[in-house]
Amino acid sequence: MIHRESDVRIPTLLLLMCMLFLQFQVHAADPPPPPGMVSTVPGAELWRKVRQRDGKSTDGISQVKGVDAGILINTQGDRWARFRINKLSPYGSIALAVVFLVIVLFFVLRGKIGIDGGLSGRMVHRFSDYERIVHWTLAIVFIFLAITGLILLLGRPLLIPLLGKEAFSLLASAGKEGHNLFGPIFLISLLMMLFSFVRRNIYEKGDLTWLLKGGGFIGEGHVSGGFFNMGEKTWYWIVILIGLLISISGLVLVMPNFGQSRIIMEISHVLHVLGAVVLIAVSIGHMYLGSFGTEGTAEGMKTGYVDINWVEAHHDRWAKECHEKNLVISAEEYARILGKKAESGELLATEQEQGK
Amino acid sequence: MARMKFYCDAERCVECNACVTACKNEHEIPWGVNRRRVVTIKDGEQGERSLSVACMHCSDAPCAVVCPVDCFYTTSDGIVLHDKDICIGCGYCFYACPFGAPQFPESSAFSSRGKMDKCTFCAGGPEQDHSSEETRKYGRNRLSEGKLPLCAEMCSTKALLAGDADVLSDIYRKRVINRGASAFNWGVNFNNSKLQG
Repeated sequence: MIHRESDVRIPTLLLLMCMLFLQFQVHAADPPPPPGMVSTVPGAELWRKVRQRDGKSTDGISQVKGVDAGILINTQGDRWARFRINKLSPYGSIALAVVFLVIVLFFVLRGKIGIDGGLSGRMVHRFSDYERIVHWTLAIVFIFLAITGLILLLGRPLLIPLLGKEAFSLLASAGKEGHNLFGPIFLISLLMMLFSFVRRNIYEKGDLTWLLKGGGFIGEGHVSGGFFNMGEKTWYWIVILIGLLISISGLVLVMPNFGQSRIIMEISHVLHVLGAVVLIAVSIGHMYLGSFGTEGTAEGMKTGYVDINWVEAHHDRWAKECHEKNLVISAEEYARILGKKAESGELLATEQEQGK
Repeated sequence: MARMKFYCDAERCVECNACVTACKNEHEIPWGVNRRRVVTIKDGEQGERSLSVACMHCSDAPCAVVCPVDCFYTTSDGIVLHDKDICIGCGYCFYACPFGAPQFPESSAFSSRGKMDKCTFCAGGPEQDHSSEETRKYGRNRLSEGKLPLCAEMCSTKALLAGDADVLSDIYRKRVINRGASAFNWGVNFNNSKLQG
């Protein structure tokens, strides 16, 4: 906790008190000043201006050239520091912990969301190699940035008692450098994600029904959906919009050479952390649903193919399209494709060995 | 135990910037970094005042509160110092500081921040006093030689005072009383002297 009193102000206070006292003595015999006249205490007016008591910032000038060099007192900094320590850091970590617990609770109560009739073995192509590379690049960079970011946000209360200052400084320093380096890579992969998935993520007619039925989380049975259902589309737009917010605010923080003032960097920092906490919280849900939360979902991002029964259950409108266009392949065909891929991988490896 | 403080007398500072120069020279501070600066308010207008400002060595320093790696510490003299071996150059102390004291040398591409540098009250850092390591990282350690910060020691108008807070208060109180008793009432405030002189 910061308390605003500091010893620096004691001489100032003494000065002001002395001056007020003398002021009254001198003016004792004088007629009362005309209404609207400002106090004639020379120091008081100056210090009121310097401390920006009237709410206006006092821009001075300085021979020293630097960011905000002309501003004598930065009145916002203390507010930002308090907000970070008292609000962002504790409530951010509580929010993440609550989301994690809710998901664990959901898993315990509801279990894995299965498919009626189980998996058929007949597959449909869902994601191309390029799309999966984009997804996993973004995912890995995101997880790295989330961990290094949380180290900076929560490391002092949580990790310094465990590691000690020296070891934690090493970790935080490496984390900060890594965070700064991978931040722009996150932006690039985010833009690739934006362009490669945007067409299928525009909201359409059936999406409102999905929302009204609670996405199948409430009640029994699966809810109608297209190639992406409403929940996936919303996750996509959360990633894109909050991702852009985090990227832009991150660039403001990482490159201080454009003369941005402290208040801009403070606001950027708050937006950066708030956005990151929201994105990490929702991403925990995404990771859960994409892995052991639902049956057959992970397959799509692993091999690029998904089971037709999974499609029928979660994306019935797309399933209809698959049947119409005859896109469903048999289990043997799927095995052949996977085998071919594995073979070509082995072939490449043997070729490389021979090359050596 | 003494509590070391700076105080700048706005009625005396003439914006000569000698404190800035002396500090830069004494500690061999690199380009782009200024531990001390003089700010002039209402420049060229009536009521113009200048103040020399650096780290004010707060009793409860916002920089120390906000630092994510906890690199700040307060000496027994009430001087706020930091450990450059711990500092990671995040810039948070610069956002939080009321006085704009923390400075960052450019370390690499895109002006990314190096380790923070600020006024040490000429008291060095956590290393052994007068070691070459200490001098390289934090500049000279005058306090351990029994000397006060150079900026205040060489101030030509004695506007900038540095030392034990009690002594500074006494000096300042005397000045204020003398100003109040002068024939021109408020000393250099010509606006009022015309009214009452």
